[in-house]
Amino acid sequence: MDNIAGHKSGLSWVTNISVVVLVVLWLIPTVGLFVSSFRERDQISVSGWWQAPFSVELTYRTRGDGEVRPVDGGYVMEGNIFDTGEVRSSFEGGASTVSAFGDRGVAPAEYPAGTVAEIGDGETLQVNADGTYIYTSVEEPGNRGPRVYFEAETPPQFTLDNYRNVLTADGMDRAFINTLTVTIPATVIPILIAAFAAYALAWMDFPGRGLLIALVVGLLVVPLQLALVPMLNLHQRLGIGQSFLGIWLAHTGFGLPLAVYLLRNYMVGLPRDIIESAKVDGATDFQLFVKIILPLSFPALAAFAIFQFLWTWNDLLVAKVFLPSDDASKVMTVKIADDLLGSRGGDWGILATAAFVSIAVPLVVFFTMQRFLVRGLLAGSVK
Amino acid sequence: MQRTLYASVAALALGTGFAAAQDLIFPVGEGAFNWDSYQQFSDATDLSGQTLDITGPWTGEDNDLFTSVIAYFEEATGAEVNYSGSDSFEQDIVISTRSNSAPNIAVIPQPGLVGDLASEGYLTPLAPETTDWIVENYAAGQSWADLATFEGQDGQTQLYAFPYKIDVKSLVWYVPEQFEEAGYDVPETLEELKQLNDQIVADGGTPWCIGLGSGAATGWPATDWVEDMMLRINPPEIYDQWVSNDIPFDDPQVVAAIEEYGQFARNDNYVSGGSSSVANTDFRDAPAGLFEFPPQCYMLKQATFIPTFFPEGTEVGTDVDFFYFPASAEKDLGKPVLGAGTMFTITKDSDAAQAFIEFLKTPIAHELWMAQSGFLTPYKDANTDVFPSDSQRNMNDILTSATTFRFDGSDLMPSEIGAGAFWTGMVDYTTGADAQTVASQIQSRWEQLK
Repeated sequence: MDNIAGHKSGLSWVTNISVVVLVVLWLIPTVGLFVSSFRERDQISVSGWWQAPFSVELTYRTRGDGEVRPVDGGYVMEGNIFDTGEVRSSFEGGASTVSAFGDRGVAPAEYPAGTVAEIGDGETLQVNADGTYIYTSVEEPGNRGPRVYFEAETPPQFTLDNYRNVLTADGMDRAFINTLTVTIPATVIPILIAAFAAYALAWMDFPGRGLLIALVVGLLVVPLQLALVPMLNLHQRLGIGQSFLGIWLAHTGFGLPLAVYLLRNYMVGLPRDIIESAKVDGATDFQLFVKIILPLSFPALAAFAIFQFLWTWNDLLVAKVFLPSDDASKVMTVKIADDLLGSRGGDWGILATAAFVSIAVPLVVFFTMQRFLVRGLLAGSVK
Repeated sequence: MQRTLYASVAALALGTGFAAAQDLIFPVGEGAFNWDSYQQFSDATDLSGQTLDITGPWTGEDNDLFTSVIAYFEEATGAEVNYSGSDSFEQDIVISTRSNSAPNIAVIPQPGLVGDLASEGYLTPLAPETTDWIVENYAAGQSWADLATFEGQDGQTQLYAFPYKIDVKSLVWYVPEQFEEAGYDVPETLEELKQLNDQIVADGGTPWCIGLGSGAATGWPATDWVEDMMLRINPPEIYDQWVSNDIPFDDPQVVAAIEEYGQFARNDNYVSGGSSSVANTDFRDAPAGLFEFPPQCYMLKQATFIPTFFPEGTEVGTDVDFFYFPASAEKDLGKPVLGAGTMFTITKDSDAAQAFIEFLKTPIAHELWMAQSGFLTPYKDANTDVFPSDSQRNMNDILTSATTFRFDGSDLMPSEIGAGAFWTGMVDYTTGADAQTVASQIQSRWEQLK
């Protein structure tokens, strides 16, 4: 009775749960990156992003800096520990609760809050939970107040500084425009060329067609790194040099094999009847291509457009090689890697933020065109 | 219409005038700088209308600092200089020289790479008198000149690079207040340092933070340790022979240096997190242990650039300080200093490129960067009064008072070794492999290259 339509199998729960688990697993890095993009570098190095939403016990070091008053048999200094100079900036959001304190770095939480601690030389120190401290000394204290270490609850802190830094960096707008200048032609040009080529390879009979297709498929496995130096050399000799035209040509060249292969496989799967009837009616190859093949191949074109757009948008290597290295022609990836991250790349906060800023546009492209992507991925696989 | 046009032109002119004035961060003629050298250079050189392209490894803050030095060159000569830094400069420069798109000047951080490019004929040799200039004016000048001299494509041995901006690697960073609280003294000799290790352990602490992690370059901090140990237990000649592979990598003297490093890094009591965490800790995260309470460690051996990775607001000199990684008293090898630096090479010759090398010979070119941050120089005529802090002056003193200076050996070895087998070998050794075995493996890789 189990597998009758309308009845839910007990196994569907297992399926649902495992889907949820897989989705969560896949999302973890992205969520981590997202949370980190709202944290400062120091916080990132102290605690993991999963601890970010919770208060944490942190140890602080400060120095009593209140007024010293003489009293019977000694001197007294009073004040609030959260107001002392060295930690004031950490508690701007409001006071916290002290859980323990100490006077030596090796034992920063030696005494629970509220106890009066003898710290030697006739000095005592008391730090209460609310942060008030009393320090007494038999002899007149020097001009530096007593060292105090204390442990306090620290509320979670988030900041928009990283986003401010990335978005307002000098020349970021220019880099954004440059990226678009590279990406759009580098997506359109290969599609134009590949659509023609794919039609010819799919529907026009000429000798050596099979060999040509095999050659294109073969080109898919050639790593583009191999072609960088010879290509650039060629560009220099042709007078194109390092320029936007050069990078369009490079991206076109590197994208063509996949484009031709993908589109040709899709076009070959179009119903022969339509094409033959059109030919019988006297359509030329060009008319056939423009009026029938192109509209029918739209899903495959869109799928390839998304692939090519994402890859050129994220590209760092090709942009570094084929564009001049001056500020005016930096694309976003180069700008982030070379200008924002600094010489030794330790700024995780900036890195995470930059990742989110730079995926914004591809995300929009992806979500508006994803229905084509799903259909396009099946391109050529089902007849 | 006409009027708005004039107004906007005037505004533009004002704006650019202001921007140019702002570029010179120290007004000409003020302060302890050698402005005479600037004036002389300015009077002798006129490059109006010429442009000069420079590429180098400095990005982010370093990029801004170098640009501020360039501004004076532009002001003095009228030339226009475009500097662009790249995070992957060592790869980029190889691609651009091979594909004829090289800049005029390339700032190369690895002498080994300079040698490669010179032997392939991509570099223009510097004027012969520059060699004499370096020998005379740099502290330990001969070792600098030798470092920048290579055999070119034509088989002639010539000077191909001008060293400028040096990093000192033989430094140990510590928090003075923690030393004070615990009653430790800064060790003067390697033997004292080892005693201090044991004393810290006896007091229940951990002496060292060591992190070898650095992405694809994981392992390089360990090579610095080994190189420093080489200079402390062997004479510098042995170091040179090791770097050029005239003695094999698995020579007992080299293995002894590796084991000397192992005494620090492979002792669970000596390293924060135990020796197994050394290879997994990122070198950028390692300093954090110094600043925790209780301190996870008391000392960190790292180069002059490391303050970039200290927590924000940390002041060098008060919150944290450094001492010279001490030399061995028993061995009596003087005060060897290990360092690294960048080399200016001419990749596409032009008047402006030659003039820029001349500019680097003026004291002012050094002082302008010294007065900001992160710059050390062996140039004896540069006025150390311009350093903004005592700690930077002390660092420079370590450099100028060195009896022996040696460049980071891993940068001098062929890159398959110095930026490959040596790194991974040190990770293997740190995680438990035998020193002799690791050294033999590196040596056999090296022999395959010959």
